[in-house]
Amino acid sequence: MDRLTMIKYVLGVVILLLTLGFPLIVTQPSLVNFAILVLMAAQLGVAWNILGGYAGQVSLGHAVFYGIGAYASSVLAAKFGLSPWLGMLAGGVIASLFSLVVGWPCFRLKGHYFAMATLAIAAIVEILVTNWDYVEGAIGISLPMNTSGWAAMVFTRSKTPYFYIALGLLLFSLAVSWIFKRSYIGYYFRAIKEDPDAARSLGVSLSHYKLIAIAASAFLTAMGGTLYAQKELFIDPGSVLVGSLSIKIALIAILGGVGTLFGPVMGAVVLITIEEFTRQMFGSTGMGTDMIIYGGIIVVIAVFSPGGIAALFAERERAWRARQRRVVFNPPGEGI
Amino acid sequence: MKRLFRRLCLGALGCTLLVGAARADDEIRIGAIYPLTGAAAGTGVELKAAAELAAAIVNKEIPLPGNLAAGAGLPNLKGAKIKLIFGDHQGNPQVGATEAERLITQEHVVALIGCYFSNVTATASQVAERYGVPFLNASSSSTPLTERGFKWFFRTSPHDDLFVANFYDFLKEVEQKKGIKLRKLALFNENTLWGGETTKIEVKLADEQGFSVAEKILYPAKSTQMTSEVQRLKAADPQVLMQSSYLGDAIMSMKSYKELGFAPPMILANDAGFSDSEYLKTLGKDGDYVLSREVWALDLADRNPLIKQVNDLMQARNKVNLNGNSARVFTGIAVLADAINRAGSTEPEAIRKALQETNIPADQIIMPWKGIKFDEKGQNALGTGIIVQVLNGQYRTVWPFNLATTDVVYPFPKWEGR
Amino acid sequence: MTNLTVTLLAQTVASGLMIGLIYALIAIGLTLIFGVMDIVNFAHGEFLMLGMYASFWGASLFLLDPLVTLPLTALMLFALGVLIYRLVIRRILAAPMLSQIFATFGMMILLRGVAQFLWKPDHRTVSHSLVEGKITVLGLQFGTPQLTASLGAVLVTGGIWWFLNRTRLGTALEATSIDREAATLMGINSQRMFALAWGLGAACAGVAGALLSTYFPIFPEVGADFILIAFVVVVLGGFGSVAGAFWAGIIVGEVEVLGGFFVGPAYKTALVLSLFLLVLLFRPRGLMGKA
Repeated sequence: MDRLTMIKYVLGVVILLLTLGFPLIVTQPSLVNFAILVLMAAQLGVAWNILGGYAGQVSLGHAVFYGIGAYASSVLAAKFGLSPWLGMLAGGVIASLFSLVVGWPCFRLKGHYFAMATLAIAAIVEILVTNWDYVEGAIGISLPMNTSGWAAMVFTRSKTPYFYIALGLLLFSLAVSWIFKRSYIGYYFRAIKEDPDAARSLGVSLSHYKLIAIAASAFLTAMGGTLYAQKELFIDPGSVLVGSLSIKIALIAILGGVGTLFGPVMGAVVLITIEEFTRQMFGSTGMGTDMIIYGGIIVVIAVFSPGGIAALFAERERAWRARQRRVVFNPPGEGI
Repeated sequence: MKRLFRRLCLGALGCTLLVGAARADDEIRIGAIYPLTGAAAGTGVELKAAAELAAAIVNKEIPLPGNLAAGAGLPNLKGAKIKLIFGDHQGNPQVGATEAERLITQEHVVALIGCYFSNVTATASQVAERYGVPFLNASSSSTPLTERGFKWFFRTSPHDDLFVANFYDFLKEVEQKKGIKLRKLALFNENTLWGGETTKIEVKLADEQGFSVAEKILYPAKSTQMTSEVQRLKAADPQVLMQSSYLGDAIMSMKSYKELGFAPPMILANDAGFSDSEYLKTLGKDGDYVLSREVWALDLADRNPLIKQVNDLMQARNKVNLNGNSARVFTGIAVLADAINRAGSTEPEAIRKALQETNIPADQIIMPWKGIKFDEKGQNALGTGIIVQVLNGQYRTVWPFNLATTDVVYPFPKWEGR
Repeated sequence: MTNLTVTLLAQTVASGLMIGLIYALIAIGLTLIFGVMDIVNFAHGEFLMLGMYASFWGASLFLLDPLVTLPLTALMLFALGVLIYRLVIRRILAAPMLSQIFATFGMMILLRGVAQFLWKPDHRTVSHSLVEGKITVLGLQFGTPQLTASLGAVLVTGGIWWFLNRTRLGTALEATSIDREAATLMGINSQRMFALAWGLGAACAGVAGALLSTYFPIFPEVGADFILIAFVVVVLGGFGSVAGAFWAGIIVGEVEVLGGFFVGPAYKTALVLSLFLLVLLFRPRGLMGKA
């Protein structure tokens, strides 16, 4: 293990400990809320990345899985009194099944076409749910806030439990993502992404592995949707199925670095910070200044760091290693 | 690039801390959450202006008009001043909740007002409930908002149940007065929380009161054309078209009616887009003859001199007349100021108590209500609706008949003869 | 639906055609850019919005009708398109598709913000346009602005088609879109072609905006209403095909209007999107796309 890897592990542990202790150190509720938003966004980015990053299938319709998660747990709770914890699993399963139904025909499509198809599917589902009376259509579902506690996954006093649930979900998603990256499936994914034709000729069943990726990605995204419903206690198609949400989920991963384990997490930190910061500082003027800054920063990042934030770090790391190598191979005594 | 991020993050933190620290003691901070960017920003900016006008009057920055509630400032707090802190919810319920939390915990507001959109009001008021901060809602009409059993939620405006009931009362009274039949309805409502709920109540009351619904359309607000909608309505050939639209769709629907020659005998609109200042500015004469349920009209100034005084101030500051939306927000701030003054303190519990005991008589507000007094659910029990008609580019009160300044023009004239 | 008459139906078809032609014009700009350089421009609706504002200011400040200022609007948008290409797009040509989406998405938000900053979020309309009122033919009613707009759309589309197929510059553009490397070898400066595609693409959206401005409300977010439809038209017609976008625009307009009429307006967009998915799955090249 070289020094850099050690530093990375130490840094990772420190960040994890700091995150674990965050709600204990920071008592300002709106900062805790901000941290929850970051964790939730990061979790979505990590989930998206399994499909969009590793399997190289760019989805612009992930809100549909998010919405399924939010609606499944809320409807099951409102109509059948089911615990949202079970609802979360149910939402994940339904989203996975739905993703398989959608993925099977759509994986034949390449690049832009796949992206457009997912965009369209999400928009169709949004319209259908808006007009579906059983799930209260456009009116949306309000969850009661009178039964709070871990069993009901509703916390009215402090938001700290939401923080830990979001953190737990993020860590779980990272673990799934890590398994994908490390396992033979991950190698297949990279093979698919780098050279689909070569991979196919080697007998890698493309659609088989893409289906595994989309099912996992959908499952995790739906879990995030349930958490949203439990945190805000109100969902409607306009808040959990809307197209701009799909794009935001993709943005998080793209900004951070597609196909990297921690990229989406960094992306979430940066994107949510920009979003909240610009709105808080400038949104209240009603002048659109926040949008100018937010949009401007996105353009600048896309232009100057197309590989995302992770690419910046990777570059530094390469440069550092190159320097190290030079140092090692230099004969002793020669220069400093 | 990295340095930029770091600076941004630090900046965000720094600013929030600074903002939290730098405030005077004699300042009473009230949070106001409205859509200041996004599709409804036009409305939101106007509401902001109305709230600021109310605050300026309370703070005596401009002379007090008449015997307006809270016009005397805050004598019980030694003349402390109100400071409004605005939040932008962008039409997004989650952002609304986030802003509510920020305003409460970082800006230390003593009360909140907002949010225009019913679905955002739903989430933002939940946050206020959690923290035990009074939330005054001035203009979201979704009925269930006051059915949630909240302790900290107050609504000055009447809600959809009352508005829709008003529609049917109005129709029946016009039927009697004019000797006509207005029983065949078409419902044409936008498809978010507000339109969806309105449709539900409209259908229910139509059944109960012997009206028939010939067509019921929930249309998507983001549309590039309304041809199919209008053609369906035409095919249904209703006697009364009941419509709930926000501004953009209100404008587009009127243009489509004109283009396709759709002129039902009566268009009965549901406030919002139809009472926005932009509606007439944009449509001019094509906006005429529409009836709209309202909570306010400028021509009520004949009966209530306060209305003219406040409207003149609004004109002077913002070069725009008050309308049903902005007048309600103005009143909302006045009600809050009145309660804070009576509470004599900025303690949330004291303000809540004072709000509960609110009893403002009709002649101290600019609304045509019987006054302001909250029931146990936090709903103003004295609110009433009126119905206005756009005639020659002005909103004229036509119902209730005892407040009317002019007679209802019926039927809606065909487009050709205009 | 008791009074379903032939007139009602014919009227619906006519309206579908008119809006469809506008969709086609917007989508042609999008498809040009895509065809030449494989970039999906999320900010395309904002070009439309800027075209509308240009017409609005021409009308309210200088009392010039949007139809009079139309060439100027087209020129301004052309310049803007080229500028955005030079400032932003040129730098991300080699970047992965994702960062391209990302960049144009950021631009979309940025331009909306700029519009709100400069011109307030109000809804505005051009009053007293040259084309007001309506024409009645055989009992069918055509709003004059809508009719003018759709005729204008046909003319511009025809013009673009002529340019691409009958002029040297246009053929060079077409050649670049068919095979960039071969075109470069033939001495075509692909950078210039890309800039031209962006200029033309933005100009098409600008013209569509000018035509729409005679009857459509103008506000900073107006592009959002059109962008999804424009994507659908582009894919349906085949990425990069001008003729395809033209026919696809009409089809989308008709499906939307007739589908909305028969199935229910609530589902009109869902119907268009379903058609789009079917075409995507069974004929991914679109109606007239290049293989």
